[in-house]
Amino acid sequence: MRHAIQNAFQSLKLSLVLFFFCSVPVGIAAATEWSGPAQQLAQKIVAVTGPGAVAVTVENRSSLWTKNVDAISGELRVDLEALGVRPAKPEQAAASAAVSLSENAQSCVWVAEIHQGAGASAVVMVSVPRGDNAGFAHESMPVSLRKIPLWAQEDRILDVLILEEDSAPRQIAVLDGEKVSIYRLKNGKWELDQRLGITHARPWPRDLRGRVMEAAAKDHLLDVYLPGVFCRSTASLPLTLNCRESDDPWPLVATAAASFPSFGGGPSVQPLGAFYSATRNFFTGALAPGVGKLSTVGKFYSAAALPREKYLLWLFAGTDGQIHLVDGVTDQAAKLGWGSDVASVKTACGSGWQALATGAGENAGNSGADSVRAYEIADRAPVPVSAALDFPGEITALWTEAKGDSAVAVVRNRETGAYEAFRLAAACSQ
Amino acid sequence: MKRFGWRRLVASSLLLMALLIKAGAAETRPQYGGTLRIAMREAPASLDPCDATQADSLARRNVLALIFETLVTLDDRGRLHPSLAVDWQFGPGNQRWQFRMRHGVRFHDGTALTAEIAASSLRTANPSWKVFAEGEAVVVELDHSDPDLPAELALTRNSIAKKNGGGKLSGTGPFHIEDWQAGKKLTLGAEENHWRGRAFVDAIEVEMGRNFHEQLNELELGRANLVEVAPQQGHRVAMEGGWVSSSQPMELVALAFSGDPKTANEKSLRSALALSVDRGSMKSVLLQGAGQPTASLLPNWMSGYGFTFSTDADLKRARHEREQVSTAPNWTVGYDANDSVARVLVERVALNAKDAGLVLQPTTAATADLRLVRIPLASADPWIALANLAETLGLAMPKPRGESGEDLYAAELALLAGQRIIPLFDLPEEYASCPVLNDWRPAADGSWRLDEVWMGKDRP
Repeated sequence: MRHAIQNAFQSLKLSLVLFFFCSVPVGIAAATEWSGPAQQLAQKIVAVTGPGAVAVTVENRSSLWTKNVDAISGELRVDLEALGVRPAKPEQAAASAAVSLSENAQSCVWVAEIHQGAGASAVVMVSVPRGDNAGFAHESMPVSLRKIPLWAQEDRILDVLILEEDSAPRQIAVLDGEKVSIYRLKNGKWELDQRLGITHARPWPRDLRGRVMEAAAKDHLLDVYLPGVFCRSTASLPLTLNCRESDDPWPLVATAAASFPSFGGGPSVQPLGAFYSATRNFFTGALAPGVGKLSTVGKFYSAAALPREKYLLWLFAGTDGQIHLVDGVTDQAAKLGWGSDVASVKTACGSGWQALATGAGENAGNSGADSVRAYEIADRAPVPVSAALDFPGEITALWTEAKGDSAVAVVRNRETGAYEAFRLAAACSQ
Repeated sequence: MKRFGWRRLVASSLLLMALLIKAGAAETRPQYGGTLRIAMREAPASLDPCDATQADSLARRNVLALIFETLVTLDDRGRLHPSLAVDWQFGPGNQRWQFRMRHGVRFHDGTALTAEIAASSLRTANPSWKVFAEGEAVVVELDHSDPDLPAELALTRNSIAKKNGGGKLSGTGPFHIEDWQAGKKLTLGAEENHWRGRAFVDAIEVEMGRNFHEQLNELELGRANLVEVAPQQGHRVAMEGGWVSSSQPMELVALAFSGDPKTANEKSLRSALALSVDRGSMKSVLLQGAGQPTASLLPNWMSGYGFTFSTDADLKRARHEREQVSTAPNWTVGYDANDSVARVLVERVALNAKDAGLVLQPTTAATADLRLVRIPLASADPWIALANLAETLGLAMPKPRGESGEDLYAAELALLAGQRIIPLFDLPEEYASCPVLNDWRPAADGSWRLDEVWMGKDRP
């Protein structure tokens, strides 16, 4: 039996590596992207008209950008001329070809309606895979956030761990609901090193969340936390992953204090864990060991640690829609209009640690796209210190990385439906 | 380390913060709980997915999709995704298909889903197919090539349903039936152990048989969270502050003749009628700007070439065609008496036809020379949608099925060449919702996907 459409995700997944989508109809798309389809369409037109004087018009009926329309028109005219077509005014032409750059749900559709004299018209067309576009907005703010693409795939990405890097990530572990995939950068392309399956007896809850973290102990490499499940890998490649049902707390920061450095001469960030509901999408509020005198807080979606001179301030994004600022003695709640995901990053700006929070995208209109913005927490009052960094969809995960100086954000692209993971890096901009 | 100018920063940021908060709450993670209340026009008497006596509609399909699931699903771009089947293979000639079933799925009555049960369900829905279980897989053997079989299995009628001894239906979907008053009200509860995770809302209540006016009242009074809106009312509801969302056009409005033209004269008269229809004024006046005029069977968003079929009225040519025939019969044109939009459209068609020298007599009688029909498109897959349209209209789908856009175009041209149908409009499904309903947006193909919505205090 011939193998066919074995799980549509699988085939697509590898083609999505590092956002090299099948075609990208934005300015960066090389003109050569359009060469093949333009040539095909030219051949089909000439098959009807034959060589000679033809009046050709090109109209954009799609979401293609103007510069791409111009590029396609140019390609088409060159190809037509190479096939013996001479451009002519309608009154001087033996035939006319009205080319429309249209699209359907799956692809660009370029259609030529051809008229010759009083005869019947003919329609020829070619299909071209569609891509996506992006936009940027800048404001003058003390911190600038930038996003560095890490990985994209059809399956929901829960977390990405960078295992090895020099100037850029060279080996990553990508966690989704069914596996941890280890990829290595070879010759500029990500290649799959290993795929580690995750076993779980119960169905995952919706809005699935999880973490893959470098183990604090040296007897193994990876710890994986999922709702009601904990997995531990072996120490070196090739890895194996052993999963078991577990209600162990998830680390809210990397368990190794050394890998999550303290600021200045202040206190080190002590490991803190929180219990995660096995059937829902939030932390129950029980902490291990606790923050100062508090061993429980309200149910929350995410947390971020902000080291201060003499204490550690925790931010909890509660399921009540409020941000709770917990310093070990008090729990101060505020409605800040933030989203459910917070993280923190260490920078060389301001107080040295900024909170990252999700929010509605500023340039997204009503599309539901999210953004991330950095905040300073001065006197318990958040002050935005970066422009909103827009994403092409809703953010489904935001976690501080182990070193503390960057975070990983996962977004579900509204256009493609694919999940895209980014590293968020912060830099001082003034 | 660089230090900020805090006073300046705080002052400038306060304004920004105020703007951010005013702009609307940020996206939040979904919250569990609550009951979603829906109202709809359709009043199906049965929840059996393969009950062919029930009129097909997007609303019925969407309700059934809450309870039952298919082996594969199509997204709103027409791409296939695994559902109850995790993968699939086909044999030479696309005649033998094998679907490997997902483990750990249970029906709402607790029975484990097996390949045998799935095969039995598919046999019931498709008596002409040879369907059987082979190990953990369902095998479909056809006597012809069918590259679209997986997409066909994504249709609601191919949902996997199990009947227990008492004839009660059980599905594997994200919601189970708690109460069913046929044609009136359906109450669904979230399935705690659904294989894709428990839905966020606890329950869904569906009030059926409510007209558009009643539905809007229910929404305004807070008795419903999600209602349908007539296409011509969508703009007004939005202007009045309602949350209105719509699918891509998924319903074809057309004039359908009861049979093929028998003579050259009849062909000329049908051409005259098609050329006389002024879709532009119908859209602006009768539909209040809603819908897309069309002269093709598939909407442009699905085909990409729909614009090549001219929708402009050409009264000069219409009269010329009419003048080719010395005596024209008076045609009766039927419409659904309960459909106010259909009535005004038919009356306008009759007026346009009169300008071309044709006489059309609107009627609500069951039989007529031609009828105004509203046909929901079956699928986001253009080939499946076209084949289903052809079947609904009693037209023979050209064979063999091709692969390219040009093949699809040729098939559509062939269907239209028979002059059995005059496409008029493509209409979207429009909905109004209350602010507490989060993550609600109908897919391009009109799918509700209510297992992903959640009830909150405010819309993010």
